[in-house]
Amino acid sequence: MSILKVNDIKKSYGAIRAVDGVSFSVEPGEILGVIGPNGSGKTTLFNSILGQIKPDAGRVEFEGVDISGKSPLELSRMGVGRTFQNLQVFGKLSLRDNLIAAAQEFHGSFWGRMFAPTDNGLGARADEMIELFRLGHVADLPAGSLSYGQQKLVDIAMAFMPAPRLVLLDEPCAGVNPSLVDGLRDLLVQLNQRQGGSFVVIEHNMDFVMKLCHRIVCMVEGRVLAVGRPEEIQSNRAVLDAYLGN
Amino acid sequence: MIDFFQLLISGIATGSIYAMAALGFTLLWQASGTINFAQGEFVMLPAFSMLIAMAVGLPLWAAFVVALIVSVLVLGMAFKRFIVDPMRASGVISIVVATLGLSIGLKSVVKAGYSAEPHPFPSVFGDEVFKLAGVTISYSDVGALLFAGLMVVGLQLFLNKTLTGRAMQAVAQNTFSAEALGINVKRMIFYTFAINAILVTVTALLITPTYLAKFDMGDNIGLKAFFAAIIGGFNNSRGALLGGVIVGVLENLVGAYITPSYKDGVALALFLAVILVKPDGLLGTPAERKV
Repeated sequence: MSILKVNDIKKSYGAIRAVDGVSFSVEPGEILGVIGPNGSGKTTLFNSILGQIKPDAGRVEFEGVDISGKSPLELSRMGVGRTFQNLQVFGKLSLRDNLIAAAQEFHGSFWGRMFAPTDNGLGARADEMIELFRLGHVADLPAGSLSYGQQKLVDIAMAFMPAPRLVLLDEPCAGVNPSLVDGLRDLLVQLNQRQGGSFVVIEHNMDFVMKLCHRIVCMVEGRVLAVGRPEEIQSNRAVLDAYLGN
Repeated sequence: MIDFFQLLISGIATGSIYAMAALGFTLLWQASGTINFAQGEFVMLPAFSMLIAMAVGLPLWAAFVVALIVSVLVLGMAFKRFIVDPMRASGVISIVVATLGLSIGLKSVVKAGYSAEPHPFPSVFGDEVFKLAGVTISYSDVGALLFAGLMVVGLQLFLNKTLTGRAMQAVAQNTFSAEALGINVKRMIFYTFAINAILVTVTALLITPTYLAKFDMGDNIGLKAFFAAIIGGFNNSRGALLGGVIVGVLENLVGAYITPSYKDGVALALFLAVILVKPDGLLGTPAERKV
């Protein structure tokens, strides 16, 4: 069974059809890339899947359950995580506390979370993520004081803290130093292999997407232009035209 | 010199009580963007809850427990549900106007429904005094200082050392991200309102023996808490503590060494000086505004 099924999602803003009947599915353990030129509807599609905007039509299923219209909080509880295009860390909390805060709803009893001066085991999990993301030297600094690239890594690590079964990553390479992009790709591959979850990645960095993703959906003007393996997408004439012009 | 130390200790004790009300002020602002101009009346109501409970025969400690429960339900849950939640979408000014109206309404209800007269209120720590190195210190000052200190330290430990506390801080810093990460934002905001309700109830227990239970007793406390919060830094809970203690000590010293007539003007003068020189408050940080 597909972990995510997106069926005929439509969303318009006035006369503009931002997403126009998009359908695709994501299989367990799969890393699916979503590419397309600016304005092709990728972020609107993401926000429709994640309940941050209400699509005009269509249905989204997570593990066979209809999640259309579910709030971000409900989706998170079901095992769906996300990262944002813009940084969303908690600037005054330390990096380690950011990670702990990101998973606290899912751990321990109400009374334990409320009064126990412990982290209910989340500290160990946070340390594991810190090590994986190689952020040990800044773990106790306020997240807001870190460099953009480090904050981006914190953002991604936070999404993975509760071990979600599906993670949607919105432009993980945006603003990241090009020399670190390969490292970020290796991290995501490791997370995919360790945690076994599925990822959907929106990204403009073609090299990153081609090397990371198992399958790619190419969107143009709110519609799906092509779906296929990276090498199929790279050699698809329509995709090349969409990016480079006829 | 002995007088000075006496005034200093008494000022710190009074200031720590202001600090608790100020702390509630800043917590509500940070978690939910609520500026509660009825904070003074939020101190007055638990005082009357305790009076009513004692009038039916409960001892002070039991009356305090009853007042805590009533405060969490009325000043925490109902205030959030019926006043703040419907107003939040309309912005801060709507909440300010609503809480100003609530302040007037609560005073009128207590004045018309209970009494316009001041009512004596028992002190938890008694009226006795003791001498330490020649300085006369009252048990109530020491008790207020300890009680307020315990509350503040307990709150800081809760916010910094527990999972829920960290989540509350996360919500205060970035609500959007907190929700997307699965933090129950509504619940965290309710906890903040509940904590404020507990803080004002403890403030009422400690300050009412001095101010007496009266429908307008909150005017002074609310104003001083507001000034203390601004002086210390509205977006910093430690700033609220500092602001409260500064106001308490200075008004005591000015009242004794200059004239009691200026005592109530100290907080206002300090408030004006701080917003002119350091608008973010002594420990506050510049607020970011999204445009």
